[in-house]
Amino acid sequence: MTAPVLDIDRLRLEIGAAAVVDGLSLSVGQGEIVALVGESGCGKSLSALAVLRLLPDAVRLAGGRILLEGKDLATRDMSSMAAIRGRDASIIFQEPTASLDPLMPVGDQIAEALTAHRSVSAREAMLRAREMLVSIGISDPDRRLAQYPFELSGGMCQRIMIAIALICGPRLLIADEPTTALDVTIQAQILHLIRQLVAERGTAVLLITHDMGVVADIADRVVVMYAGRVAETATAEELFRAPRHPYTALLLASIPRAGIKPKSRLATIEGTVPPPSSHGSGCRFASRCPLAEDRCRIESPPLVDHAPGHQAACWRSGQVATLGAAA
Amino acid sequence: MLRYLLSRLLQAALTTFGVMTIVFFVMRLSGDPVLLLVPEGATREHIETVRRELGFVQPIWRQYLTFLGGLLNLELGVSVVQRVPAWDILASRIPYTLALAGAALLVAVGFGIPAGIAMAIWRGRWFERPIAALVVTGQSMPTFLSGILMIMLFAVTLRWLPSSGVDGPASVVMPAIALGMLSMSTFARMARIAVVDELSKDYVRAGLARGLPLGKVVTRHVLRNAAIPVVTIAALETGNLLAGAIIVETVFAWPGIGQLAIQAIQSRDFLVVQAIVLFVSLVYVAVNLAADLLYAGIDPRIRLGKP
Ligand SMILES: Nc1ncnc2c1ncn2[C@@H]1O[C@H](COP(=O)(O)OP(=O)(O)O)[C@@H](O)[C@H]1O
Ligand code: SF4
Ligand SMILES: [Mg+2]
Repeated sequence: MTAPVLDIDRLRLEIGAAAVVDGLSLSVGQGEIVALVGESGCGKSLSALAVLRLLPDAVRLAGGRILLEGKDLATRDMSSMAAIRGRDASIIFQEPTASLDPLMPVGDQIAEALTAHRSVSAREAMLRAREMLVSIGISDPDRRLAQYPFELSGGMCQRIMIAIALICGPRLLIADEPTTALDVTIQAQILHLIRQLVAERGTAVLLITHDMGVVADIADRVVVMYAGRVAETATAEELFRAPRHPYTALLLASIPRAGIKPKSRLATIEGTVPPPSSHGSGCRFASRCPLAEDRCRIESPPLVDHAPGHQAACWRSGQVATLGAAA
Repeated sequence: MLRYLLSRLLQAALTTFGVMTIVFFVMRLSGDPVLLLVPEGATREHIETVRRELGFVQPIWRQYLTFLGGLLNLELGVSVVQRVPAWDILASRIPYTLALAGAALLVAVGFGIPAGIAMAIWRGRWFERPIAALVVTGQSMPTFLSGILMIMLFAVTLRWLPSSGVDGPASVVMPAIALGMLSMSTFARMARIAVVDELSKDYVRAGLARGLPLGKVVTRHVLRNAAIPVVTIAALETGNLLAGAIIVETVFAWPGIGQLAIQAIQSRDFLVVQAIVLFVSLVYVAVNLAADLLYAGIDPRIRLGKP
């Protein structure tokens, strides 16, 4: 087996004294799509930003390794990160329109991503930008290149962002909820586009989402995060077939499925993610977990192997199957 | 774009018309204008003669039309004090005030905006503090005080610059600094706010994410976006500069329209005062029109008409 493109090892991110991400480990191989899943606020976006060292000022990278093709980005000084961003690893965000400069034609913004890393003429860069648009299936590329973000739909802006992210041919693409702000039909198109590009280029993809439907659609492997920690990780197939963490089981039960009457209530998880400052010594899911027992509130469950590549952090993994049946 | 231009031009024309109308009626509302136009202690016959000469016996709408017609021909009446057309008096002063205000704006923009950008980029770091201290000084120092202090230091003690009056291009330096200081602080604060605001936007993070160094993101993207609110401030500041010119021109004996305004008010030269009010208002309208054109130049959403 070849070494993974991205290998995050026990990443720890702190805001003040509280750890918002606490020991996150995951890896993404060449051509693989790994989904990082969890409710809003569990630390997905910060983890993604940490990889490219784009964390907001308030958030501190307090520990762990971030290996990109074997090089540790966690210990790099910030000035050398610019050379890596966009060339070796790219990221696209949830708000494609806001991610583009409103005052600059999108063609120039795509070209800029190329000229940041390669010494090519402005003309050459624009030609490459055009090729990029053609390769992601945008019709009428010349008109698009000259347009401003406000003239484009959200879906088109996200395609532009993908073009910007991939123009230098990075080995890793991080997509932070790339379709959350888009219509359902556009969502499917963008996901399809990402899958197709990955297949063509062998790019490793870390896809962040809170939508299990998206995971089912596109992911090879899944990392489920809860309150800054990994709750469970497995191949997508295995995770859907036999979840070993109650949180995963409840997330799966919340996927809207065909056949459910529109009026019937979807299974949802009661309560919200506890804030980082309130974490005690026990399992962080205990306050919301239907299987919680006394031990859970005192002792934190370690990540345990259940099958090759399938790990879960729960004292009562064995009982999770009964939960699925009840839901 | 054309619609935007036309609407702005129309607005400027309407404002101009409104200003003229207000000036006309305020002059009539503040008592018998003839009494304001004749020297103190004039005889009854003299007053009547002036009244007839200036057409104040005609119905008011007639006077109003004559007034507007006169404005179109730059006829602002003849100064009763100096016996010279008010426009000629004003016109001889305009270049001085434009030179002073222009130099002051240069000082304000040239120092204020880089200071604001630097404060935004280094916000919270120690090198923001000395810049911020300068800005606060500029902001809290009254214009007459900074003017007098400068005269004492650079003209009296060091003898580097002429203390007052117009004597070559060096003469404009101190008045321009005194006049521009307050605006400089305003520009610095506004530029800081605008740049900080832009730096928090998603496109900045996205720019860094495609491998641009922060400096490039700032020069290529942030400054242009931050320019929009700063242009608004610049237009407003022009009004403050013209008001400040009254004080600065007096302190430095600068023969511009600020000084003229003081002299005209003291000598009850009402038509000259009126001419100054009209002129300053029109400059203000013109500056705001220029700001509207600049917006269109900067922002494609205005230029192309946001759907
Ligand atoms: N710039 C920031 N300053 C302070 N706290 C932040 C900042 N960004 C995120 N957080 C906090 O960090 C936690 C994780 O955020 P995030 O990674 O954005 O979650 P997710 O992407 O999973 O929804 C949240 O509790 C959030 O409130
Ligand atoms: S350890 Fe306990 S509280 Fe935590 S998920 Fe498992 S059963 Fe629930
Ligand atoms: Mg997020």
